[in-house]
Amino acid sequence: MIRRPIRIPNLGGARALILHRPHPTVQALSRQLTAIGLEVATAWPELGPEGLAADYVFFDADMGHDGMFPWPPGAPPVPMIALIGSEAPGRIEWSLRAGAHAQLLKPVGDNGAYSALLVARDAFDAQHALSAEISDLRRRLDERQTLVRAVTLLAARGKSETEAYAQLRQMAMAWRISLEDAAARIVASRDGGKDGDDRRDRG
Amino acid sequence: MTRRIELGLLYSRSGSYSLISEACRSGALAAIAMVNADPALGLTFVPVERDPGGNVDLYGPLCEEILRDTAARHVVGCVTSWSRKEVIPTVEKFGGTLWYAVPYEGFEASDHVVYTHACPNQHLLPLLDWAMPAHGQRAWLTGSNYIWGWEMNRLARERITAAGGQVLGERYLPIGSREVGRMIEEIRFARPDFILNNLIGPSSYEFLAAFRRLGQDDPQFAPDRCPVLSCNLTECELPALGEAAEGLVSAGPYFRGTAGWPGPGNFGSSHEAAAFAAVRELARLLAQRPGAEDLPLRRLLAEDTRPGGPGGGIVDRDTHHTVLPAIIARVEGGAFRPLRQIAPMAGDPYLTRSRNQPQAPLLRVVS
Repeated sequence: MIRRPIRIPNLGGARALILHRPHPTVQALSRQLTAIGLEVATAWPELGPEGLAADYVFFDADMGHDGMFPWPPGAPPVPMIALIGSEAPGRIEWSLRAGAHAQLLKPVGDNGAYSALLVARDAFDAQHALSAEISDLRRRLDERQTLVRAVTLLAARGKSETEAYAQLRQMAMAWRISLEDAAARIVASRDGGKDGDDRRDRG
Repeated sequence: MTRRIELGLLYSRSGSYSLISEACRSGALAAIAMVNADPALGLTFVPVERDPGGNVDLYGPLCEEILRDTAARHVVGCVTSWSRKEVIPTVEKFGGTLWYAVPYEGFEASDHVVYTHACPNQHLLPLLDWAMPAHGQRAWLTGSNYIWGWEMNRLARERITAAGGQVLGERYLPIGSREVGRMIEEIRFARPDFILNNLIGPSSYEFLAAFRRLGQDDPQFAPDRCPVLSCNLTECELPALGEAAEGLVSAGPYFRGTAGWPGPGNFGSSHEAAAFAAVRELARLLAQRPGAEDLPLRRLLAEDTRPGGPGGGIVDRDTHHTVLPAIIARVEGGAFRPLRQIAPMAGDPYLTRSRNQPQAPLLRVVS
C-alpha cells in the first residue's frame, strides 16, 4: 500500500475534550492544548452528548470503562488519545478496544500533546480510508456472481466469452460506473426487473 | 533595599554561529547595565555566564550548572533550535525559565520558555507573500541539516505549493560544512526565481559568496532577478559576508534605523534588540515583587496584576510569544533598506490563530 502523505491538520479553534477527573495532568494538558490553539473542555465521569461535537477526545485509560463514551464501544467518531498512567496490559488492552489512536503517558508535563494530536488524526484518517476501501472491495467480491451472469447473458447473443466481457467493460465505461454495477444493470434488465429494483442505487 | 538577582547567560562565544551569540549577549548585557542603573526598579541583575563554545552537547549540562549551583532561575540564551531543545528538559526539571531571543521555526510553546524573537507567521510567511508576486513562484530551498532548516523548508514548500508555485530543489549541508559547489551547479541548471536560505554560519557565508560569483557570470542569478531570502540574517552577520551581502533579502522584526520595534532603543540588530527586550521584560516582571524571582514562569506572568501588568507586558500568556512587526528588507550599500513593513502581529507558533483569518479584501474602485 502506498503511504499517504501526512496531512497537517488545522488545529485552530478545534475542540478538544478531556475525559479525566480533576488533576494536575488535566491542567498541564489544557495548557498545552490552549497554547496550540484548541478550545478545551473537560468532562468526568462520563462524556455527555457534547462528546459528539468534539474534534479530539483525550480519555483516562486508568479509570475508564466502555460506558463513559456516548457511542458504541470501539467506534469513536473522532480521534481518541489515551491518557495512560499505569502501563498494565489490561488497561492498554481496554484503551485499544475503546479505539485509542494515540497515547500520552501521565503525568503530562510540558509537551507531547501536539504529536499526540497529529498521530491520532493520521491514524483515524487511515483507519477510515481503509474501512471505506475494504467495504467497497467486499461489495465488489459479492458481485462476482452477477458479473458471470451478465457475461453469460451477453455471450448468449452468439459472442465469445472474451468479446462479451469486452462489451461489458465498454458499457461500464460509457455509463461511467464500475464493472460490477454495469453487470447488475444488465442482469436486472434481462430479468425484467425481477431482482433489479433493489439495484437502482448502483447507477 | 536593592535586590541582587542572579541571571543566567548561556551563549556560545566561539563556534559556527558566534556572531549571532555575541549580538544577543551584547543586547542582554546592555539591558542588564540599564536595569542596574535604574534605582526605580529596586533590583540589580548579576550575570552568571556559561559558554558552551558552540558544542550542542554542553548546553544541557551548563544550563543545569546555572540552575543547580546558583540562585538564578532565569537563563537568557541559546541560538540554535537544537540547543534550545537540549535545554528545555533542564529548565523544566529545575522550574527555571529560558528567555530565547532568536528567530525560530515555531511549533513550540513551552511552559518554561519565553520567545522574544519572531516565529514563522512573523517572518517566513510574510517573506514568501512578498517574494512570490515580486519574483515568481519557482523556489529553491536550502538549509543546515537540523530542525531549523527542515521545518522552515517544510513550511515554505507547503506555502509555495498551496499558492500554485513549485519547489525545484531542496538541499541540506551539515552544520559547519562549506561544500556548496554541487548545490550551486544544481541551481545553475534549475534556474529558480528565488532561493530560500536556511543555512547557518560558515555554510551560509560560503554559499552566498559562491552564489554571488554565479550571479556575476550569469545575470539570471543577479540579486535583482533571483534574490536569496533569509529569516535570520541581520546586521550582526554582514561583516562576515562583505560584498556578498549586497542584494540579500531578509525578514525580521527590526533592522537598524527602522521604526516599529516595540519599546525604545537603537540596536545593532534584531538579535540584540530581542535579547535586550527579554532582560527588560524580566526586570519589569520582578520589580517591586520580592521573591518573584523564584516563581515559575506561569505564576510570574499570571500574578503580574499591577498597572502595566497584564496587557502592559510583552509576553502572551498562552503561547509565551511576543507581538512583533514584520519588515522585509534588502541589503543595499552595506545596510538593510526596508521594502515592506507589516504592522505588529502576535506570534502564532502553531499557525492556528492567523492562518484561517480571511485576507483583507482587496478593494477595487468600481466606476
